[in-house]
Amino acid sequence: MTAIASEILDLIAQPCVSDDDFNAMALKVFAHQFTHNVPFQRYCQQRGKTPRLVKTWQDIPAVPINAFKDLTLSCEPPDRCERVFMTSGTTRGDIKGRHYHPNLAVYDASMLSHFSQRVMPGRSKITLGVLFPTEQQLPNSSLAHYLALAKTHFGDTQSDYFFNTEGLRVQALCHALEQAQQRQEPFALLGASYSFVHLIDALEAQERRFTLPTGSFLLDTGGFKGQSREIPMADFYQALSTTFGVPRQSCLNMYGMTELSTQFYDAGNQILPSIKRGAHWIRSRVVDPLTGQAVTPGQRGILAHTDLANYNSVVTILTEDVGLEVEDGFVLLGRAQGAQAKGCSLAVDAFLKAAQR
Amino acid sequence: MTAPKNDYVFKAGYLPGLREEDVRWHKLRLGAPDAPIWVEVPELTDVQLDALTQRIKQASRTHLKTMSVADIIGVLAKATARLLDAQDPYRQTLDTLLPKVTGFDPDMVRLNLTSYLQTFRHLELERFVTEDFANPRVLDAFVPRITGGWTQAYGPELLVHVWAGNVPALPMWSFVAGLLVKAGSIGKVASAEPLFASVYARLLADIEPRWADCFAVLWWPNDAPTQRTAYQSAQVVLAYGGNAALQAVQDQIPVTTRFLPHGHKISLGVVSAQALTVFHAAHVAMQAALDVVRFDQQGCYSPHMFYVQSGGSVSPYEFAQQLAHALASLQHKMPRRALSLEEASQISRWRDAHRFIALDNPNYHVLGDSTQTHAVVFSQDATNLMPSPLNRCIVVSAVDHVSQVATLIESARHDLQTVGLAVAPEELLSISEQLGLAGVTRICALGQMTSPAPGWHHDGRFSLLDLVRMVDVEASTEREADRFKPYAL
Repeated sequence: MTAIASEILDLIAQPCVSDDDFNAMALKVFAHQFTHNVPFQRYCQQRGKTPRLVKTWQDIPAVPINAFKDLTLSCEPPDRCERVFMTSGTTRGDIKGRHYHPNLAVYDASMLSHFSQRVMPGRSKITLGVLFPTEQQLPNSSLAHYLALAKTHFGDTQSDYFFNTEGLRVQALCHALEQAQQRQEPFALLGASYSFVHLIDALEAQERRFTLPTGSFLLDTGGFKGQSREIPMADFYQALSTTFGVPRQSCLNMYGMTELSTQFYDAGNQILPSIKRGAHWIRSRVVDPLTGQAVTPGQRGILAHTDLANYNSVVTILTEDVGLEVEDGFVLLGRAQGAQAKGCSLAVDAFLKAAQR
Repeated sequence: MTAPKNDYVFKAGYLPGLREEDVRWHKLRLGAPDAPIWVEVPELTDVQLDALTQRIKQASRTHLKTMSVADIIGVLAKATARLLDAQDPYRQTLDTLLPKVTGFDPDMVRLNLTSYLQTFRHLELERFVTEDFANPRVLDAFVPRITGGWTQAYGPELLVHVWAGNVPALPMWSFVAGLLVKAGSIGKVASAEPLFASVYARLLADIEPRWADCFAVLWWPNDAPTQRTAYQSAQVVLAYGGNAALQAVQDQIPVTTRFLPHGHKISLGVVSAQALTVFHAAHVAMQAALDVVRFDQQGCYSPHMFYVQSGGSVSPYEFAQQLAHALASLQHKMPRRALSLEEASQISRWRDAHRFIALDNPNYHVLGDSTQTHAVVFSQDATNLMPSPLNRCIVVSAVDHVSQVATLIESARHDLQTVGLAVAPEELLSISEQLGLAGVTRICALGQMTSPAPGWHHDGRFSLLDLVRMVDVEASTEREADRFKPYAL
């Protein structure tokens, strides 16, 4: 365990952090990465941002998530890293972004502490159903690891995976849900948003609905990624609520990224778009993508996250997600899609398609 | 005409024979996010469109087909003169509203509109017609052919235009072309710029009341079934847009209808070492910058990349620096329009992608910083043609010789259009020949890329000839007719 990792672990273990302490730690992590991560150092120098000049966490260069595809962003040599999480490659299918973790101590501490705070307040265990492949099946998926952690640490003995190589195990899941109903024991169903869509469709075809006991919740994440039909958010959460008999405030959404080591949660999706909140060791800004400066409050912008748990890669990342800052978090307003070509000059996307013919 | 207030709504369109209150108006929010302007566009029912089509066909048969080309040119030239007059209310409407609707800088719009209108003055219109018809009278009557017989060119009864909204006043080309061949026209304006065609139609009807029913300007949503009604009754459909949009239009057009698509294009510039003397280079860089700045590269003729030959006294890298400098100085004169978050994000991703390459490649540079409203990427290695995210983002690639360029752009053959050149006279035709072979259809001086010459062959096609139907009376008819003369001996 490196010194910096221990310090982050200590900070995560605290109940909160002051602005000054967050700033000091962020600058420390930045200096550490500047020293030990050569591509990042060159990236910062290209922008004239060095630890000597950067005085606030907001001024740390935000690295676009595409850099995880093009550069090796790791302080530890990659071959000495215990785990590498890879992006699913939805935008540039052929190239995957890589996020190296020397070990998972900090990642796990971050996940467990925040999950406990936002998803499991006031309880330690629940029967947990996972709609996603196991960690063994997808060793490079951060989501598979996340869900495995959730099941191991917060799931009781009846918790199970309802997804195998053939896909969703709908019958087994129905059986588990019925049991939960009979015993009046709360049940939590976790998985990728698109798995939920497939599940809703499958249950609808069988005309099956459930009324899960009070205290049950659903947690979806990741959006549809072209893996299922795209549904408007309001319809999606309504369908979840109707199918499983769980109020919409218990339909939680986790916003996470392979490029981060900390997740964001909302407090249900009764009102859309829901407010996403982070933990005390991650802070977000809504920025103008061109200047990297924060937009005026109330304006849409691109989300940048400063995640202290990202101690080995880059502490601040620039996403491709459009967001709006609100009082105690932010709302997500979708992805900054390639601008629609207005006229007769060829747009990049169209050109790439044309070049493939 | 008073300046529009904040809640100003402009009613676009031109609908002869239809009352405003009988039409459904669709409201479009246009302009910069912080200074929106509302424009209402007419959305007709099938019945209304059908009646309008009949009316236009009838009127153009009566009033347009019976006019000589010379008289038509006279009317069009009068309209141009009106629009060139800064005091004219129609021109003032355009000067006030076009910048608001498109977000482009008012001075840029005004200057470019004036230069653009000059290609539609009397002399230029004559040239426009002569470009396609050596004897323009062929549009008025049967004219004798050198090989015997007679020929007349007939314009379509109904020409449907589907316009794009990237560059203000773009519809004028096809609007004028349609009138020159005496076609009745229905034009569908783009949601992004519904203004110019509407104002122009009103001006024409104002100048020549007999034309009042000869054309219409309207709008329909892309997936509207109504458009089929328009396509069904047209002889020619002329459409601008992306390939997917054009495909959607083509799918609705009867096979017997002529379809003239103008898809998205990619253009570029080439600078020879001969132009890179210390004396000339700054001027050339400024011309290149102007081509980038005008309409923020939204035009089909706007450059995506510049190929610059090494070996001149100013190196390609120095040229790239001069170009960046010129772009920065033009920002004061013609500021870039406000970008949407999506456009800004796209530019930032493009710039970052190039920065990542530059981290590992000493021959690669991203000039300038994030606070600037332009981005110049320089590659010392010759690179294949790459599209730009537009809005003043440009790649400068060094080449050892200008003859390399044809190979570097070949992969975009189907999408190539204009090349702006800065070369010596001795090189001009040899490079042009290579570019022509590679698929380019227009070659002009650097600095002129956004101002096509009157009568240009847009995308390599004929502006007027493509619209008409030639009717031949063969020599045999004349010979045989002679047999039936009443005064035969």
